[in-house]
Amino acid sequence: MSRRVRAVSALVVAIAFLFSGPALEAAKKKKKSSKPAAANFDTKLPVLGTKLTEFPPGPGKRLADEACLACHSADMVWQQRLNEKQWTAEVNKMAGWGAPVPEKDRAGLVEYLVANFGPENDKFQPVVTRPVGK
Amino acid sequence: MGNDGIRPSGLDRRRFLTLAGGGALASAALRGAPASKPAPEIPVARRRMIQMNGYATDAETPLDALTTYLTPNDLFFVRHHWNPIYPDARHWALEVDGLVERPLRLTLGELKKLPRASATCILQCAGNGRANHRPRVPGVQWRYGAVGNARWSGVRVRDLLERAGVKAGARHLQTAGSDKPPSNTPAFNRSVELEKILSDGVVAYEMNGSPLSPLHGAPARLVVPGWTGNHWMKWLTKLTVSAEPQKGFYMDTAYRYPKTPGEPGVAFKPDEMNPVTELFVKSNITEFPATVAAGSGALLRGFAYSGAPDVSRVEITDDGGDTWRPAELSAQHDPYAWRLWSFRYTPKGPGRVTLSARATDSRGSVQPKDAVWNQSGYLFNGWHSVDVEVTA
Repeated sequence: MSRRVRAVSALVVAIAFLFSGPALEAAKKKKKSSKPAAANFDTKLPVLGTKLTEFPPGPGKRLADEACLACHSADMVWQQRLNEKQWTAEVNKMAGWGAPVPEKDRAGLVEYLVANFGPENDKFQPVVTRPVGK
Repeated sequence: MGNDGIRPSGLDRRRFLTLAGGGALASAALRGAPASKPAPEIPVARRRMIQMNGYATDAETPLDALTTYLTPNDLFFVRHHWNPIYPDARHWALEVDGLVERPLRLTLGELKKLPRASATCILQCAGNGRANHRPRVPGVQWRYGAVGNARWSGVRVRDLLERAGVKAGARHLQTAGSDKPPSNTPAFNRSVELEKILSDGVVAYEMNGSPLSPLHGAPARLVVPGWTGNHWMKWLTKLTVSAEPQKGFYMDTAYRYPKTPGEPGVAFKPDEMNPVTELFVKSNITEFPATVAAGSGALLRGFAYSGAPDVSRVEITDDGGDTWRPAELSAQHDPYAWRLWSFRYTPKGPGRVTLSARATDSRGSVQPKDAVWNQSGYLFNGWHSVDVEVTA
C-alpha cells in the first residue's frame, strides 16, 4: 500500500476506534474496582472500518491499489458484478475525478476488474461488525 | 413576524399557511408528540452490522435487527460518500444565507435555544436494495438494511427561515455539509424544494433522544421526512435560499430516476429522468421461520413504509400473487414513519412455499412485483419474498 493509503486507513481505523466498543471498554477497565458491564454485542466481532479486504493478486493489482485505495477500500470493488462496458465507464469516471491511473494503464485496469469482478463475481462477503458508535 | 415573512412567492396564501403551520400533516409530524416508549431489546446475537465498505464507511443493518419501531442509534445504517471531516461542535455554526432579509449564523448552543421540534420518520438511502436490480448496476450493493426509523429532534426549517425572512422569488433550499470530496470529485450538494422543506423539514441535532453521532451527521443534519437520504445532508453547515435548484453532478447526473419505465439494462439519458425525491411504497419481511409443520401457524413480521405519510395495507401471498391475505399493522405510527406488521401463516401441505409481502400506501400506491430498473439502482421496491419449508 502507498503511504497515502496507509495514512487514510490508519485515520479511519483511529476514528472508528474512538467510537467503538473496545474504546469504551478500555475506559471502563481503568476503574479496576468496578466490575465491567457485559457487552450487549459479540465482542469477537471487529469494529466497523477495521477489517479491510485486499485486491486479489494478479497483473492489475498494483494499478487497482494505486487508483482506488486513496478514496475507498477494496470492499467497494469486491461487491461489483459489472461487464466490460460498465467497468470502462467506472474507470473513466474515477480517472476524471482524480483517481491516479494514467491513460495508458486504463485498459489494463479494466481487464483486471472484469476478470475479477465481472458479472459472475459472487466472491463478496461483507464483514459482520459490532454495532456502531452511539 | 407572521407567516407572510417566509411565504415564497408563487404560493397562494392559503396554500402557504397550510404548508407552513396550519396543515394537519405538518402539525402531526412536528409538534412535540409524547416520547415514544423505550424500544424493546434486540437480542445480543442480532446486534451487529454488515460492513459494505471499510472506508469510506458504509454499513447496513441486518433485517432481523430491524424489528423495533425505533431503530437503535448503534444499529442504524451508515452511508458516507467519502472520508468525512467531522466538524468540531465547539466551533461549528450553521449559516443561513441566499435570498433572505437577514442572513443567520447559529452556533450549536444558539440553535438549541430555538423552539424544539421532533419528527419520527424513516431514513432510507436512495440506493437501498440496489443489489436486487437485474441486470446488476454499479454502486454500494445494499440489500435491504440501508433504512431505519428514528425520532429526529432539533429546529424546524421553517422556524429558521422565518427568522431569516425569505425574499420573493425563492423556490429552493440548497444545502451543504462539511465533508469535502477528494481531488476532482464533485462536491456533494443537494437542494430541496422550499415548499417541501417548509412543510416538515427539521435541522436535527438529536437522534432518538441522544446527541447525533459523528457517523450519523453531528452536530446537525437535515431531516426531510418521506424523501430519500441524499437530501438529509449530514454535518450540515449551510442552508442557502435560492431561486434555482442546486447545480452539479449530484443533482444533474446522479440521483435521477426514470420518468417512465424502460427496458432493463438499457440506460436512460439524464433528460429521461427526474430527480429522486420521495420514497416508494415498500415492505420487508424481518422475521420468519425456516421450517414449519403443515397445519401449524408460522409467524411472519416485517415493516412497511412509503413516501406517502402512512401505509394503509400490507398483504402476504403464498401463490405468487394470485391471492393475498392482510397482515396486521401495528398501531404505533407517525407521519412518514414505518409500520411494523405481523402475519400468521398456516401452510396447507408439505413442501417449499415462497411467501411475498406487498404494501399499499395511504395514497393508494401499491408495491409492484418488480422494481423499475435504472442504471444507478435507486429506489428498489419489488416484492420481498422468503422461502419456508413446510414439513408433514
